[in-house]
Amino acid sequence: MFSRQKLFWLSRAYDLPGSDARFLRAVRDNCAYHIRHCPEYRLICQAEGFSPSCLNTIDDLEKIPLLPTLFFKRHHVSSMPGWRTPMKVTSSGTSGSFSRVSFDWGCIFAEIPMVLRLGFFHKLVAPMPARYVILGYKPGKQDKMGVARTMFGLTHFAPPLGRFYALRWRDGGYVPDLEGAVKKLARWARGPLPVRIVAFPSYLWFGMERLEELGLSVCLPKGSKILLAGGWKQHYAQEVEKSRLYALAKKVLGVEEGDIHEFFGAVEHPVFFNTCKRHHFHIPAYSRVMIRDVRTLKPLPMGEVGLLNLITPLINAAPVTSVMTDDLGYLTPGESCGCGLTAPYLTILGRAGLNDITTCAAGAAELLGKGEMP
Amino acid sequence: MIFAGGKLFPDAELNSVLGDLEAEIVQTLSGPPLEAETVLNALDALGRELDSGALDALIAQYAPPGALEELERVRPQISRASLEARLALELGGLSGPRPFGRAEVRPLGVLLHVAPGNMAGLPAFTAVEGLLTGNLNLVKLPHGDRGLTLAVFQKLTELEPKLAPYLYAFGLSSKHHGAIQALAALADGIVTWGGDGAVSGMRRLAPPGCKLIEWGHRLSFAYLSGWEDLDLSGLAEHVVRTGGLLCSSCQVIFLNTELLSVAERFCKQFLPVLEKAAAEQYKLPGQAAQGALYAREAALEQIVDRSGSGDLVFSGRCCSLTLRRDRELELSHLHGNVLVKRLPREDILPVLRRQRGRLQTAGLLCPGPEREKLAGLLARGGVTRITGPAGMSSALPCEAHDGEHPLRRYMRVVDMEKIF
Repeated sequence: MFSRQKLFWLSRAYDLPGSDARFLRAVRDNCAYHIRHCPEYRLICQAEGFSPSCLNTIDDLEKIPLLPTLFFKRHHVSSMPGWRTPMKVTSSGTSGSFSRVSFDWGCIFAEIPMVLRLGFFHKLVAPMPARYVILGYKPGKQDKMGVARTMFGLTHFAPPLGRFYALRWRDGGYVPDLEGAVKKLARWARGPLPVRIVAFPSYLWFGMERLEELGLSVCLPKGSKILLAGGWKQHYAQEVEKSRLYALAKKVLGVEEGDIHEFFGAVEHPVFFNTCKRHHFHIPAYSRVMIRDVRTLKPLPMGEVGLLNLITPLINAAPVTSVMTDDLGYLTPGESCGCGLTAPYLTILGRAGLNDITTCAAGAAELLGKGEMP
Repeated sequence: MIFAGGKLFPDAELNSVLGDLEAEIVQTLSGPPLEAETVLNALDALGRELDSGALDALIAQYAPPGALEELERVRPQISRASLEARLALELGGLSGPRPFGRAEVRPLGVLLHVAPGNMAGLPAFTAVEGLLTGNLNLVKLPHGDRGLTLAVFQKLTELEPKLAPYLYAFGLSSKHHGAIQALAALADGIVTWGGDGAVSGMRRLAPPGCKLIEWGHRLSFAYLSGWEDLDLSGLAEHVVRTGGLLCSSCQVIFLNTELLSVAERFCKQFLPVLEKAAAEQYKLPGQAAQGALYAREAALEQIVDRSGSGDLVFSGRCCSLTLRRDRELELSHLHGNVLVKRLPREDILPVLRRQRGRLQTAGLLCPGPEREKLAGLLARGGVTRITGPAGMSSALPCEAHDGEHPLRRYMRVVDMEKIF
């Protein structure tokens, strides 16, 4: 009972050994819940001979049936009736199709302390009001995209005095307004209050490149920050080295490297991953990450590259306990970062090529969510 | 972006470009016709630049990864010799003296191409087919086009400015319904590439009298008879190389047998061959990961969607075989995860008839003496290509497209009576 809340109210956000027992207990309860309430998950567990009693040590987490995010794109599975899930969130659908995951009240009550704890830990929370320029989507009724909600959520760490969205919903589609964002930045840069830019990394890069091309630069007020979420999406081919991004941010926006924060998460694994001051994603106590061999899907030792397997007992509404994303990455011992955190950190190398799937086999486009109407 | 008259315009200019389009079309069509030789010369010049590597940077910038390799594969099809052979084969004999006078082949006039997004170069290729037949081409670019088609059009019109009035391209999405309708209203023929949704969508938009030329999605399969002593490696390489994604990709391996035990024996024999092909094909971790993810997905779907179906799953590294009990041709799990079914030769016709209009390639593997009869049966069943299993997706010189010669469909015959 309340094993999930006990984990997510934990005060030591990066103490993995200290949280192992709570984590294991919460995962066991979470799996048992899904087996009871989700027929599809029950079938999978039966077929693979898994039951919560298989989980005795933290190493046993690898035994939990592994569901690829692809599975959630093709099956909208749920462990709760719709009326018990106050929030439904979708992935961005970079590869053409998207996952839809429901969130339950217990999940929301667990997320709030986690986000606050990590927000304070990473010095994102500030009493001084800020103005926000969001190079991303404005959340609205027309979409339930997880990243739009994340970006909106990020505008609450400092009291928002104004928000400007560079992507607006108009006539059934998103229209970019980078010029408008630049004008807004220039105006707010002259004011006394900090400015926070919340952005997809690609949009920030394109926007800063445009500023540089035009020979423009601003110096945002002291305390301003850049918060990056959502990854490079379909612009992964243009992904630049982080050092170039930081240098350009300093040059055209006057934001120091230490004030640039990056976040990672997935609709199927909404744990709030933050970069440390050395820009590494250390694993918080609310999640466990395994790297799986790209051929056998067996767990790999630290340092080897493979597919990301993310485990958390956060959600009861959908069986996302152990999901495998199509990202490739590797883990490094936390001590080698030098920031002081000992939890291993995750380096994401990029997608496993699933974005480029295009097809002319009859029915495959629809299956992959790529059906294109003229 | 919009491409018109050899120049690029921002999307904001859409209404003004559309407003002038009818007058420009009339002006172009009333001028001298576009000769195939002019187009061939321009393509030749483009091909030389391509071969010299001068366009590699442009392709790397605008095309998805793997496009250069794909281009290498289709390069012979856009050579002068190949295009000349196609023109001779597809249009030869359509014009000439007739008892009443003579017949001439003329372009349809204006073609609207609803271009596919499944292969980087296809939007440009469909327009080239239109140009070769002297048509004026309006191209609706696919959603995922990263600028490659526009760059090719720009290059082509730089090399041969006479092509500029014959090429237009529009980056329109489904929300630009009105603009697509306006383009359709100007077209003599609409060339639609895509799945059922795209095809039926364009049918609704086409004005009466407009010729519909549809290159819809297709299903292909392999048919194996007396395979026990035959080499299966070509089929395995085909399955993992194309990932089931092409019209010509094998979705189901049909076996000429009634017996489940024989089919099981085939799966056990073929799985290691498929695994070896996957290990050789998936050299990058990302490719192997993709195969493994789809194999895992296939296994989960079997559990969740087909529990109690009696399917037998043979899981391998980054690939799998699923032996199903029914006989239908259907889409596989893709990416090296292929279906196996029993289909005795006497049942071929009814099974294939149920997929009429969707059939494309049959990769036939059987002992030599059986080949002729089985090929005849498959052809009667409605397939439009019969190849060896290794070459199911290989381009054959001068081959038809889904059973038809495309250039012929972009032309019309004008009969001219001789008046004495």
